[in-house]
Parts: sequence; structure tokens; C-alpha cells
Amino acid sequence: MKKILLTALAVCSLSITVAQNGTFSGGFESNTQWYQDDNGLGTTAPQDQLRSNNYFKLKYSYGKFTAGAQYEMYQPSPLLGYFPGYDDNAIATYFANFRHKGLDITAGNFYDQFGSGLIYRSWEDHTLGVDNSIKGIRVNYQFTDYLEATGFAGNQRAAFELSDGTIQGFNTELDLGTALDLDTSINLGASYVGRYQQTTSPDPDFPATVNAYSIRSDVYFDAFNVGFEYVYKDPDFNLGNNSVSNYSDGQALLFTAGYAIPGLGINALFRTLENMGFYSDREEQGNAFLQQTINFIPGYTKQSSYAVSNIYVYAPQALLSIADEKAGEIGGQIDVVYTADKGSLLGGKNGITFSLNYANWGGIDAVYDQTTNQYEGSFFSRSDRYFEEISLEVYKKLTDDFSIKGTGTRTYYDGRIIEGGTFVLNGTALVADFLYELDKGRSVRLDIQHLSADADRGNWAATTLEYAFSSSLSIYAADLYNYDETDIHYYSAGGSYTKGRSRIAVNYGRQRGGLICVGGVCRFVPENTGFTLNISTNF
Amino acid sequence: MKKILLLAIFLNFAFAKAQTELPQLSLRNIKGKKIDVQELSKDRPVVFSFWATWCTPCMRELDAIKEHYSEKQEEFGFEVIAVATDDSRTKPRVKTEAMGRNWPYEILLDTKNEIIRSLGNPQIPLTLIVKNNKIVYRHSSFTPGAELELFEEFKKHLN
Repeated sequence: MKKILLTALAVCSLSITVAQNGTFSGGFESNTQWYQDDNGLGTTAPQDQLRSNNYFKLKYSYGKFTAGAQYEMYQPSPLLGYFPGYDDNAIATYFANFRHKGLDITAGNFYDQFGSGLIYRSWEDHTLGVDNSIKGIRVNYQFTDYLEATGFAGNQRAAFELSDGTIQGFNTELDLGTALDLDTSINLGASYVGRYQQTTSPDPDFPATVNAYSIRSDVYFDAFNVGFEYVYKDPDFNLGNNSVSNYSDGQALLFTAGYAIPGLGINALFRTLENMGFYSDREEQGNAFLQQTINFIPGYTKQSSYAVSNIYVYAPQALLSIADEKAGEIGGQIDVVYTADKGSLLGGKNGITFSLNYANWGGIDAVYDQTTNQYEGSFFSRSDRYFEEISLEVYKKLTDDFSIKGTGTRTYYDGRIIEGGTFVLNGTALVADFLYELDKGRSVRLDIQHLSADADRGNWAATTLEYAFSSSLSIYAADLYNYDETDIHYYSAGGSYTKGRSRIAVNYGRQRGGLICVGGVCRFVPENTGFTLNISTNF
Repeated sequence: MKKILLLAIFLNFAFAKAQTELPQLSLRNIKGKKIDVQELSKDRPVVFSFWATWCTPCMRELDAIKEHYSEKQEEFGFEVIAVATDDSRTKPRVKTEAMGRNWPYEILLDTKNEIIRSLGNPQIPLTLIVKNNKIVYRHSSFTPGAELELFEEFKKHLN
């Protein structure tokens, strides 16, 4: 064995010596949790008490060639809330890429996105346990500086296996502003994505192939910009009542508009969609672990970093469910950011910044027939309100080293629709966040949070105290307290140390269960208590 | 044994002096124009700050740099390229936040996370100093006051 090791080392060293003209890079990330029994929460540690998700990435570039691989190890089991299919270790993804002039070819696993992702997005997120890269071939060609096209075919990754469905896609983008040498940017795009999956259905009309098409444009004038995107998806099999085979098509329309000048930014967004779940395996429609998704449908609402504002977060409703009488959603949001400069009447000595967000989402109006497993609905009509929120944030630097941020939020949340619960909730959250900068890079941050809510678990209070010793080292203690219904403290404390390309963080505490949302995508996590260790490094 | 072998290979690679560069690609700025990333640091150091509209410390960092920006720019040519890693969910908010906060930086959109993936998907805030496309300094996380360290570090790479 020793011999093999020595040989391996020799080969590696040699390859590094040979590779003087090329470059190696890579990274390692490890997220480990040691779960504890907790009588206070009423939870017991899972069977494998110590669990760890590990990712090790290597990449080598030599001139026009790049090759890379990612080894993943989930031992002895993946962390709670992750797709159980990750329970293994292996080289999970690998690729080889060649670039020359306008040509870009990848064989192996690749990531890409067409438009906003409404038709197709392959991405990776370790906090959500998502990696839906496609293993196959992808070719991108830049014809000129204003015209490019991409084509691909392959199978999506499903943990350590491949999806049953085969996906192929084509995308083209035209930069009309550059082509015509205009000051205004006009970017146009058109895409096609198709999924083929074998079927054993006796129905000759069963859609083994489901194609989707999209067109879009983005126009940027000086201060204004507008964008639109439309996607149509062929009829796909309706999950649910399996005794009746019925097929429904889907569509989505996204419209954005923005206006921005120094000191003031505004944007508004409108989106309507019906039956836009698009999976590489049709049986996986709506799976809880976000596996095998072809497209990306994020929730357009404000994203907050405060504990009380992350309890009732909107999760987008893209799927058709005739049993639950849901076919899609319609709604939008508006953001305004305004800064009054130093020395202005409102700004005072150090300036002041206001941020406003308003979001409103509801179902589309439709009539459902449970016996035939069909529905009839209109894309531009609206039925019940699912979620509504308004929030205002004010940031003010009072002195050179002391600043305060205050946030007020009003939320309406239909828990029956969003999380399959039994409640509808109205809540008001107030947060005050103080930051005091000491000398030599030291600082103290304290936040005080409160949520008053008329349903579910009622009122909550929370606080965080953070102390930074330097730009490398900081510690924190936090508590989220449901004092109304359950009298449970979700306390936690920890610290992190960052040096150059490496970071280590430890923490001990309780994790609130429920819908955990990252980047507008949500998954369920069971309540738990334990030690966590995160290590990451890049080289 | 397999694991030891992998570890050995890993360590071996780690000790090989890696000199990371920014990848060859173009990103759009908030005016919809394509910018060649490799051109930005030609013959001069430039700060690449990776941020997102949902990342509070990132916003604090860019707000803090703004306070000194015109002064440092005049003094020694300090320059920041703020790369928004926002995906399509929060991408519409990038221009709103950057303009609404009066940021004087060039703002690029890494909507498909191409650059950040090529850097190994590190956590943000991530601050790089890049010169002739070579990454000469790398720091992640932001605590108040770290912007002053960044100015000092930048000066070291002027010549």
C-alpha cells in the first residue's frame, strides 16, 4: 500500500512540475454537525449523530484547456434536511473545457442559465443541497461581439446518479445595441429546452417529450430599463390522480422596469405563471428536496437577514396541484432605495438611506375538476391573496463610528397555501440594529427584534450580539424566543476566523425547524440542536 | 486507504503554488453593456469586490469604501469593481441598490455565477486585488474598519 501511496505522490509531484505553465486551483468545504438530544425542544438526535457534508474541488488550466472534478462525501449520512440520496461518497461531477476565440466547448458536468432561468437553470448551492448540473456536452459560440449561441444535451445530476430524462437546449442572444452601435443597450434572446423521458403509458398521446420555448428582451436607456420574458411549455403529465391521464401546458410572463439616478433607485416587477414546474424526471414534480429541476422560479419578495423576518417567508407557487386547487401565481414587487446626501436637509451630517419594499402575490383564478384531473384557468386573472408584505428600512450613521438601522415590516401570510398548514397570519416585525466601531478594526453589533403575529406560534422576540476583534476574528451570541405559545428559546453562539483564503466557523445551538429559504428557494429542515463546524478553503 | 490517498493528493496540490487568475469572460454592467473582465486590471491594480443585495456585510463594505473613495482615487488611483453575484431573483434590485446608495463603482452582474464559480464558490463578501489579471490579494468577510486595511494593501501593489 505504501508503494502505491509513494507512487501517487511521485506522480502528483511530477504532474505539478510538468504543469509549471498551467495553473492548479481548487477548494475544500466541510460542513459538520454533531446532533444532540434536546428535551427542551422535544427532539432526539438522529441515528447518525455526527454528520458531515464535504466538497473537494480541483481544477487545472493549461492554455485553452481546463479540466476539473468535484469529490463529495456525506458521511455517515448527509446533514438533516438534505436529500437522503446523497448518502454516499464519489467523484460527483467532472468536466473538460476548451476555449478558443469564440468557441467554448464543455464535456462533462456544466452549469448554465437561459434568460432569468424561467426556462432553464443549472446551479449549485451547498446550503440548499442543490446541484442540478447537466452531464453531457455544451457548445457555445460567439459569432461576433453581438451574437452568440449555445446548444447542449445531456442528463441532469440526481445526487450520485443521473436523471431518467434527457435534456437538450438551445439559446441565442443578440446584442442589438452593439450591432447598431447605439447608446441604448438592447439585448434580445430566444431559447428552446426539451426533455425526453421514456414512458410505459398505454396512451399513444402520452407526452414523452416536453418542449419549452422562450423569448425575451432587456432594454437599457440612460436611467430607465425595461425587460420582459415569456415562456411556453408543452403539455406535460399532471401528477396527482394517476387513474386519469391528463396533460396540461404551462406558461410564464415576467416583466421588469427600473429607474435609477444617483441617490435614487426604483424597480418594479410583475410575474404571472401557471403550471411551470419543469423537472427532468416527471415523477419528481414538486419533490421536497429540489432535485432534478430544469427551470428556476424564485420568490420575488424582500430577503432579510433577521431571525424574526425569516419565519414567514413566501415560497413561490409554480406547480399545478388540482387536488389543492392551485395552478400558479400572479403578483409583483416594488423596491425603492433613496439616499439623502451628507449636508442635505434630510441627510444631516452623515447622510441617511431609506429602502422600501412592497410585494403582493396571489393565486390565478381557475376552476378545478377533481374527477377528470383537469383545470380551466386564465393566466391574467387573480383569485386569493397568498402573501403580502411591506417593509421600510432606515439606515443612519449618527456619528463617524456609530450607526443604526431600523426596519418595520407588515406581513400577510397564508400558511395553508405556502406551507400546507392550517393558519392565516398577520404579523408586524420591528428590528433595531446598532453598530459601534471601536478602533483597530474592533466593533460591536447588537440587534433587537420583535414579531407580533396573530396566528400559528404567536409573538417572537430575538436578539444578536456580535463582537469583532479584527477583520479576521469575530464571535456572536443570539437568541430567538417564542414567548407566546411554546416558551422555547432558539439560542446559539459561535465564532468565525478568516485568514486569506480560509475560513473556519464553529457554533452551538438550536435550529428552528420549518421552511428554510436561501435565495428565494425554500426547503424544510427539522428542528435540531447541536454543534456545527464549517471549514472552507480555496487555493 | 482510498481516503488517505485522496488526502495525499489533495495536500500535494495544495502545496503546489497556485497562481489564480480571473477567467476569460465578459459580464454585463448595470447599463446592459458587456465588459471584458480581463481588460479591467491591465497594468494597474484594481479591487474586485463580490457582493449581493441580500448580503448585509457586503453592503456595509461598499458603503464604507464610498466614504473615502474620491479621496483615495485622487491620492493613488484606488479603483473598485463591484461584482454582484445576485441570481435572477435579486438581480433587478442590483441597479436600484447601487444607484440608490450613490455608489461610484463600476457594477458588473455575475448572474450565472461564472466568476464566483471559477474562484471556487467562496463565501461573500470576497475582496480581491487583481493586477494584470493575477489575483495578488484575497480576503473574505468584512468587519468595520477593514476598508482601511484594504487601502494600505492596495498601495503595496502600485508598482
